[in-house]
Amino acid sequence: MVKKDNSQEVNMADRHEPEVAPKDATRRQFLQYAGVAGAALAMSDTILPTAAEAVPAVAMPLLMPLAMSNTGPGEIPRKPLGRTGVEVSVIGLGGSTLGNAASYEEAEQIVHEAIDAGVTFMDNAWEYNEGRSEDWMGRALQGRRDKVFLMTKVCTHGRDRNVAMQMLEDSLRRLKTDHLDLWQVHEVIYYNDPELHFAPNGVIEALEQAKQQGKVRFVGFTGHKHPQIHMKMLQLADQHNYHFDTVQMPLNAFDATYRSFEQTILPEALRRGMGALGMKSLGGGGQPLMQGAINVQDALRYAMSLPVATTISGIDSLSVLRQNLAIARGFKPLSVQEMQAIRTRSAPMAADGHLELYKSTKHYDAAEGRKQHGFPAQEELPV
Amino acid sequence: MEQNGKADINSSPHSLGRRELLRNAATLGMGVAVGLQSMREAEAKRKTQSSQQTPLTILNGPPVGPDEIPRRMLGRTGIPISVLGLGGHHLGDVKDVNEAMTLVHEAVDAGINFFDNCWEYHNGRSEDWLGRGLQGRRERVFLMTKVCTHGRSSQLAMQMLEESLRRLQTDHLDLWQVHGVTFDNDPELAYAKGGVLEAFDKAKQQGKVRFVGFTGHKDPSIHLKMLQMGYPFDTVQMPLNPFDASFFSFQHQVVPEALRRGVSPLGMKSMSGTADAIKQGVLTAEEALRYAMSLPVVTTIAGMDSLDVLHQNLRVARGFKPMTPQEMQALESRCAATAADGRYELYKVSLKYDNPEARRPHHYPIDQTQKEVKEMLQEAGGQNKQAH
Repeated sequence: MVKKDNSQEVNMADRHEPEVAPKDATRRQFLQYAGVAGAALAMSDTILPTAAEAVPAVAMPLLMPLAMSNTGPGEIPRKPLGRTGVEVSVIGLGGSTLGNAASYEEAEQIVHEAIDAGVTFMDNAWEYNEGRSEDWMGRALQGRRDKVFLMTKVCTHGRDRNVAMQMLEDSLRRLKTDHLDLWQVHEVIYYNDPELHFAPNGVIEALEQAKQQGKVRFVGFTGHKHPQIHMKMLQLADQHNYHFDTVQMPLNAFDATYRSFEQTILPEALRRGMGALGMKSLGGGGQPLMQGAINVQDALRYAMSLPVATTISGIDSLSVLRQNLAIARGFKPLSVQEMQAIRTRSAPMAADGHLELYKSTKHYDAAEGRKQHGFPAQEELPV
Repeated sequence: MEQNGKADINSSPHSLGRRELLRNAATLGMGVAVGLQSMREAEAKRKTQSSQQTPLTILNGPPVGPDEIPRRMLGRTGIPISVLGLGGHHLGDVKDVNEAMTLVHEAVDAGINFFDNCWEYHNGRSEDWLGRGLQGRRERVFLMTKVCTHGRSSQLAMQMLEESLRRLQTDHLDLWQVHGVTFDNDPELAYAKGGVLEAFDKAKQQGKVRFVGFTGHKDPSIHLKMLQMGYPFDTVQMPLNPFDASFFSFQHQVVPEALRRGVSPLGMKSMSGTADAIKQGVLTAEEALRYAMSLPVVTTIAGMDSLDVLHQNLRVARGFKPMTPQEMQALESRCAATAADGRYELYKVSLKYDNPEARRPHHYPIDQTQKEVKEMLQEAGGQNKQAH
C-alpha cells in the first residue's frame, strides 16, 4: 500500500534526528498503514533561516490513493467507503451550502445536475439552516433517492439519545425517506465531546438503536477543530469496542502541515477500516483562494487525491457545481511529487492557521453547539 | 518524601511512569506524528496514574525557614530557583521606573531569584527597568531573557543578545530562551541551518549565556516538536493552570516529556493570561497561583505590575507548601466544564492573541483594526511610559 520514499531517509538522518528511533515491527506496521514518516520532524538542509524565504521541508510520503472505479473519460470516479462494501463518488454535495442557494429552484437544479453527472454522495445535517438544507434536499431527491448515498448528521451536542432519536425522525421526514445511508455525530469539536457522546444514554446508543430499527445503515462522526479531539473519539470507540463506519474531517493542502488531520487521523481511520470523508478542501470559507495561496483546481485535486472515499464540497450555485464537476470528471489522482510540491508550497502560510479558521478560531463553532454545552455565544467571547 | 534534605515535589497524580511512557512511545513510533503521540502519552499517563511507578522528579533546594520562599533545583544545572519568579512583561507596566526598581529590590530581598524578561517587551523598557533594578544585585539572581527572531536568523539573534545584555547591564545571561514558539513551522525554522539555535551554541561558547530554553503558549504539539527534534534545552516555559489540565494540556502532554528529557519546566499564565476566570469567580487568584506552583515545575513566573500584587504573591510564596493531590483534583474538576472550549485560555484558541511582532516576519496577515493588535503594536513602538 505504501511506496518507500528514499528522500525521507535522507531527511531523517539530519543532525537533529529524533532521539527515539523506533525500529520495531510495530513501527513498520504503522508506516505501512500510515505511510507517513518523520512527518513533523524531518528537516532539510535547504531551509533558509529567514522566515520570508523559508520553505519548511515537508517530507511526507503520500498515503496511497484508493482504487477507483467508473474511471471513463468524463465520468466521475467512485471509491470504496471503508469496509461498508459501498462505493461513492469522489466528490460529494455539501448540505450546508445547498441551503444557501439563491432559491429552492436553483438548489433543486444543483441536486439534479449533480446526480445526472454521477455524484452519489449527499451530505446534510439536522441543524443546517434550521432544516431548510434537509428540506430542499428531500424535495430535490424525490424520484432519485435510490441513486444516492444519503448522509445526514445528528446534533445532540452532548445531549441524550432521546434527543437524537427525535432528530432522526425530523431528518427522515424532511429528507422524505425511510432510511439514511449514513448518520453521523455532528461537530465533535469541544474537548469534552467524546466523553459526552460515549456516556451512558448518549448519542452513540442512539446510533445503535437506529441501526437496529433499520433506519440507518452506517454511522460515523464529524468535526473540524483539532485532531486530538478526533483521536479521543477513536480511542474511546476502541475502548468501547465500537466501530464507526466513517469519520469526516477537514483535509486540504494547509491541513497537511497545520494541526494535521491528514497526518494523524487519516492513517488511524484507514487502519480501523473506516471510510474517511474529506471536507473544507478550500479552507472552509475559501480564505486560501481569496488570498491567492492556492487555486481551486490544486486545492480540490489535492483533497481528492488523499485516500478518502469522497471530498464533500460546498456548492451554493450552479456555476460552482459546474466548476467542481469539471475537476471531478475523469479525475486522476495527483502524483506523489505533485502532492509534495503543493504541500511544500502551502506550508509557510499554513502554520499559524489563518487559512483554516475553523481550527484556529471560534468562528466556525455553531451557535447551537455552544448553547448546548453552556458555553457563551460567540458574540460574548472576546475572540 | 524527605531524603538528604531534598524532597520530591512531584506529587503522585502528576507523575508519569517513565517505563510506561517509554514503552508507549516506542510502540507507536515516536516522531511519526506528534499530535498522535501526544495523545498516546496523555493516555499512557492516565493509565499509569494508579500503578506504582518511579516518579519523575524535580528536587527541592536546601531547606528554608517557614517564612522564606522555597527553592527548587533547575534540572541538570543544580541551581536553586525560587518557586515564584518575577515576570518581565508586567514589570514594564509598573507606573514608573522608581516603583519598578523598588519592586525588583523588594522581590530580591524577599528571596525571589528568578527574573523573566524578553527582548521585545515594551520595546526594551522591561529589560531597561530590570537592568536598573538589578544594579548591585545581579549576582543574587538567576536572570533570564528571551530572543525574538520569530523564525529569523542566528545573526539577528546575536544582535538582540547584545541589546539585551546592554539594557540589563550585565555581561551574561543565566538563561536565554526562544520567545513565543507559536506557529506550526516555528520548530523547523528554529532548527534550520543559520537559525536561532545556532545562536544558542555560539552565545554559550562565548560565555554570554549559561543555559538555554524556549517558550510558547499555543499548542502542546508544537512544544513537543521542539523537544523531540533533540536540541539539549535546559528549560521549557509554558502556560500551566487548572484550565490547561483539561484543555490541550501542556501539563499532561509537555511536562512529562520535558522531565523525561531532563529539561526543566517553567510555568506561566497561572491566572490563564487575562485572569477572566478569576474575575468571573470560578477560582481565586491564590488558588490559581498555588495550583500552578504545586505542579512539577521549577518556578512559576507571575506578572506583577505593582507592589500590591508583589506583596500578595509573596504571601502565597513564603513558606509555600504544595496543594495536596485531592485539592488539585478538586480545582481541576471545578474548572473542567468551562475549560472545554478554551474560553479561559484564549491564547490557545484565537489568532487575535498572537503577538503581531511574531506574525510579521512570518508574513501572516495582521488585522490592524483589532484593538488588541493596536495595543500590542503601540506597546512595541514604545509610545507610552518611556523610561526617564
